[in-house]
Amino acid sequence: MLTAPPNTAPKTPKPAAAPGFSNIQRFWDSHTGHWTARILPGEFYVTRSDEGVSTVLGSCISACIRDRVNGVGGMNHFMLPEDNSVGKDSWSMADGTPSTRYGTNAMESLINEALKLGARRDRLELKLFGGGRILPSMTDIGARNIAFARNFVRIEGIPVAAEDLGDTVPRHVVYFPATGRVRLKRLRALETQVIAAGEFTYRDRLAAQPAESDVELFD
Amino acid sequence: MTRTILAVDDSASMRQMVGFTLRRAGYQVVEAIDGVEALEFARGNAVDLVLTDVNMPRMDGITLVRELRQLSPYKFVPMLVLTTEAGPEKKLQGKQAGATGWLVKPFNPEKLLATIARVL
Repeated sequence: MLTAPPNTAPKTPKPAAAPGFSNIQRFWDSHTGHWTARILPGEFYVTRSDEGVSTVLGSCISACIRDRVNGVGGMNHFMLPEDNSVGKDSWSMADGTPSTRYGTNAMESLINEALKLGARRDRLELKLFGGGRILPSMTDIGARNIAFARNFVRIEGIPVAAEDLGDTVPRHVVYFPATGRVRLKRLRALETQVIAAGEFTYRDRLAAQPAESDVELFD
Repeated sequence: MTRTILAVDDSASMRQMVGFTLRRAGYQVVEAIDGVEALEFARGNAVDLVLTDVNMPRMDGITLVRELRQLSPYKFVPMLVLTTEAGPEKKLQGKQAGATGWLVKPFNPEKLLATIARVL
């Protein structure tokens, strides 16, 4: 499932991407009969069309959100950057650490873009996937990501409709915001190395360029 | 004298982080969950600074800033926008509405406190 499916002719026209999301790659998935956006670590995608959002997760987390009534929603894919200065349960600190602030931003960006497309905060439902301990040699960064995600949704009071978290497996997730349906495949160990390598690259990128807030004072 | 900051965000996590940071720095903080609640509070109470998110139910942060600027006690009160919106169009809208400054998330406590100290 890591390679693009056979290129059969689309049965429906490609839906217009929401403003700001035309850079996300989308393909026709003849398997599900839906146009499907493929997101990489650090990316997210929201839509109000009947299309899928697909990603492959190792220790990263994907939050899938949708408005229960109008089906507007999407998916993100993130991990917490490493926090060298503090203990691993630092996500509970009230003003956050650089890593939890990054995670909060990943969640909030997804939610805000869905709200802009017409979702309502009080009608959001959420599904959580990933956080696997895919390499036994590594510290359990999956567990840290899971702890953050659970804490975030608890504070926000967003109901969790489904989850498949932890364990030692990578996952391929396809989410359909219009209906809330999920196709989840637990991947074989064979694919673990490739997925782990992708996550290392993402983690190194986060470490090299800490997410910076930008300030501008008007005259 | 303790300064009062009106902090407006529809995200409970953000309110928690921002509120904690500001209180620890010695400010008194009033939290509001959207523009409507913030405006209602501001009409009956004086605050020294307004810190608001943009995307919120009922009333967004840019509308809030615009509405507050119509009220004479708020003509010169610093109003900072703290948002996930980094686009120049939104920023321009904020400036035109009367915002004092624009901070793009992720939220950085040190930067926020430094910016507040500059405009207060």
